[in-house]
Amino acid sequence: MPEQQDWNALTDEDFRAIFRDWVEQNCPADLRFMRKQRPVFDEVAVWYHRLADKGWLSPVWPQEYGGMGLDAAKHIVYVEEWARLGCPRIPDHGIGLTGPLLIRYGTQAQKDFFLPRILTGEHVWCQGYSEPNAGSDLASLKTSAVREGDDFIVNGQKIWTTLAHCANWILLLTRTSNDGPKRQNGITVLLVDMTDPGVTVRPIPNLRQETDFCEVFFDNVRVPAANVVGEVDQGWALAKAVLGHERIFLGAPSRPEYAIKRLERLAEDRGAFDDPGFVARYARLRLDLYDLGSAFERFARVLRAGGDLGPDVSVLKIFCSELYQRITEEMLTVAGEEARLWDDLQTAEGEVDAMNLYLDSRAPAIFGGSNEVQRGVLAKGVLGLPS
Amino acid sequence: MTGLILDDEDGGLALLRESVASFAARHDGPSTFRNRRSSGADMDRATWTAMAEAGWLGLLLPEDLGGLGLGLPEQAVLSEALGRALVSEPVAQLAVFAGTLLTEASESAERTRLAEGLVSAAAIVAPAWQGRNGAAAPVEARAEGEGYVLSGTLEFVPAAGSATDFLVLARAGQEDMLLSVPADAAGLSHSLHPTLDGAQLGTLVLDATPVAAGKVLAGGNAVSAALEKAIAVTRLALAAEMAGIATRAIEQTVAYTRDRVQFGRAIAAFQVVQHRLVDMWSDAEFANASVVNAVETCTEEGGRAGDLAILAAKARAGDAAVTITRRAIHLHGAMGFTDDCDIGLYMKRAVALNATLGQPEELRLQFVARERAAA
Ligand SMILES: Cc1cc2nc3c(=O)[nH]c(=O)nc-3n(C[C@H](O)[C@H](O)[C@H](O)COP(=O)(O)OP(=O)(O)OC[C@H]3O[C@@H](n4cnc5c(N)ncnc54)[C@H](O)[C@@H]3O)c2cc1C
Repeated sequence: MPEQQDWNALTDEDFRAIFRDWVEQNCPADLRFMRKQRPVFDEVAVWYHRLADKGWLSPVWPQEYGGMGLDAAKHIVYVEEWARLGCPRIPDHGIGLTGPLLIRYGTQAQKDFFLPRILTGEHVWCQGYSEPNAGSDLASLKTSAVREGDDFIVNGQKIWTTLAHCANWILLLTRTSNDGPKRQNGITVLLVDMTDPGVTVRPIPNLRQETDFCEVFFDNVRVPAANVVGEVDQGWALAKAVLGHERIFLGAPSRPEYAIKRLERLAEDRGAFDDPGFVARYARLRLDLYDLGSAFERFARVLRAGGDLGPDVSVLKIFCSELYQRITEEMLTVAGEEARLWDDLQTAEGEVDAMNLYLDSRAPAIFGGSNEVQRGVLAKGVLGLPS
Repeated sequence: MTGLILDDEDGGLALLRESVASFAARHDGPSTFRNRRSSGADMDRATWTAMAEAGWLGLLLPEDLGGLGLGLPEQAVLSEALGRALVSEPVAQLAVFAGTLLTEASESAERTRLAEGLVSAAAIVAPAWQGRNGAAAPVEARAEGEGYVLSGTLEFVPAAGSATDFLVLARAGQEDMLLSVPADAAGLSHSLHPTLDGAQLGTLVLDATPVAAGKVLAGGNAVSAALEKAIAVTRLALAAEMAGIATRAIEQTVAYTRDRVQFGRAIAAFQVVQHRLVDMWSDAEFANASVVNAVETCTEEGGRAGDLAILAAKARAGDAAVTITRRAIHLHGAMGFTDDCDIGLYMKRAVALNATLGQPEELRLQFVARERAAA
């Protein structure tokens, strides 16, 4: 196992400097600021393995499991530097989802088997929650798991499963009972090997005409009962509990920050800063981004002081995703007649992937709890409004 | 509802908040607003005197000028709390703006007299420096004997009717001056214009008004520096006051919509209403975060970073206060359209403060121009 130290004992600034230096030297230049939001494993394998060898692949897992053991404050630095340096997103469901779930609720055998394989990249995970008829209303999910001896037999379909086509394991929410008064009871978390017979993956081209997400079909797939996480029928609470301080990152300013730099590049090249109408619109976007930084800081400070995030953190996700959209919409306005071209726009300072960002920005308002769902959370959880 | 979250190690800010709350229980903001409006006064003297007794008028003034010598965090918390309680006296313009001008002025007996009067409420010291477009518009000063003679017109003078002394911006040739002119000076007259927030703003006319040499408070480059400082600090106080208004307006609207039943349910149970309330709350959260950022950036860094932070905060809080109170009126239905309902007063106060020292669009353009000039 690579050597670790007590990162949390460093100041944020010292940690930032150490992390940045190493990343600058080790993240391959051709992988920086990738056009693709969701590269598949093979495209970024070099970077994944470098991180793994260094012991920096999983920032928040405790060190005993091969993680860096970062607290929330250092994790924020890690994520900020990652974005600032334009490192590519790696298939991270094992690191961000399955790993933390097993560390908290898994059996010793599950931890011993799965965690090291995530770190080596042998197991690439995806998240099998959504179904065709269970999106925002996730608790209505129907993919069934029926006990048969030492196994569960799984039948049903998942959809929008990001990177399922390059994953070999899936974290599956299944229905094991319909008896309880609440639909939330009777849901079980299963760890499913996607190379098993009966699993079929069909990629779905997305708005950007890339294949980021897929349909996954289960036809009498046999899963050992030892692959249940936590208790049978009690999976809902587990699935909800995994996201703790990470919810802050749904509102991290990195996407709109990147987009506004591209907008500035395009606007300078096309002379838009001479147009008072553009400058006024740009000023609004620029200050929205500036104040998103102030709002993000307010929640980051709660974490730095050792506190827990409340439901109010959803305010960042809504604002951030909508700002990202508005910035990319302005890029199309500045692009004028060119705003119907698929390819990146050329400027004296380099390319601007206006259309790419415009299309990409549709997604964050939908996933991770749609913005309407988030508003519902705030209405109930913060303003205490009645049903 | 969160409000401004500032570092408060010794609990001083919490105490200040409490004392404003108990003050407001004795000097009810909305009823003072209505009384002042119907009497045609430009300020409520009882409230003003009580604020002087609490030490708030000299909060930022250094101790050697008789003030409390406190900082921006305290001023922000005071202004926020006044905004929440709709205590709508001209604290920002008279205590903060005039106070800052006096702080920045050079030492003199006149400066001391004015500062002491400001702090004790024995004097009402009104800044007079703007033209019709809001920019600095110095009146003409002509040297005569030991002193000067002033001629010209100044707009948007707060408390012009109550003022005992004016801080007048003038120019002699190329040289800017800040002079103290008593309200009863020869050739000085004013007219009053009622404001949306139940007060009066004055137009001040100086017609060959003589001013003694000892009444010059500052001259040369020091004048524009003092003005810039006063504008910046006052914008921050206004931003905090508007953040307080925004936050309180949502609290009142949440309470009203939970109470009001239509179609057999509290209207707050309808999702459309809930999402509107959430958006209003979110705008207030951002206003609060922006004001906190400005207070901290000014305290810790200052310079250009502080200037930018203040521009952002005043723009953000102004937009938030105005649009939140507007949406709040809508959610109150016809009740919101009555003069009896306080929510309308909050909206009027928000619009008035938002229009003071730069509206959001203008501030945003300044922000971008300064940022891009430095890049
Ligand atoms: C790029 C991308 C990647 C994804 N990756 C994954 C993944 O890896 N694994 C996975 O399990 N899922 C994934 N998802 C699915 C995602 O979790 C769902 O899209 C999300 O939960 C919304 O569900 P839905 O798409 O079925 O929309 P619906 O729930 O059908 O919503 C449609 C619209 O109706 C609105 N709406 C729904 N309910 C309400 C309500 N009660 N009140 C008001 N408005 C409402 C929504 O806000 C939305 O605008 C991904 C989605 C995207 C876009």
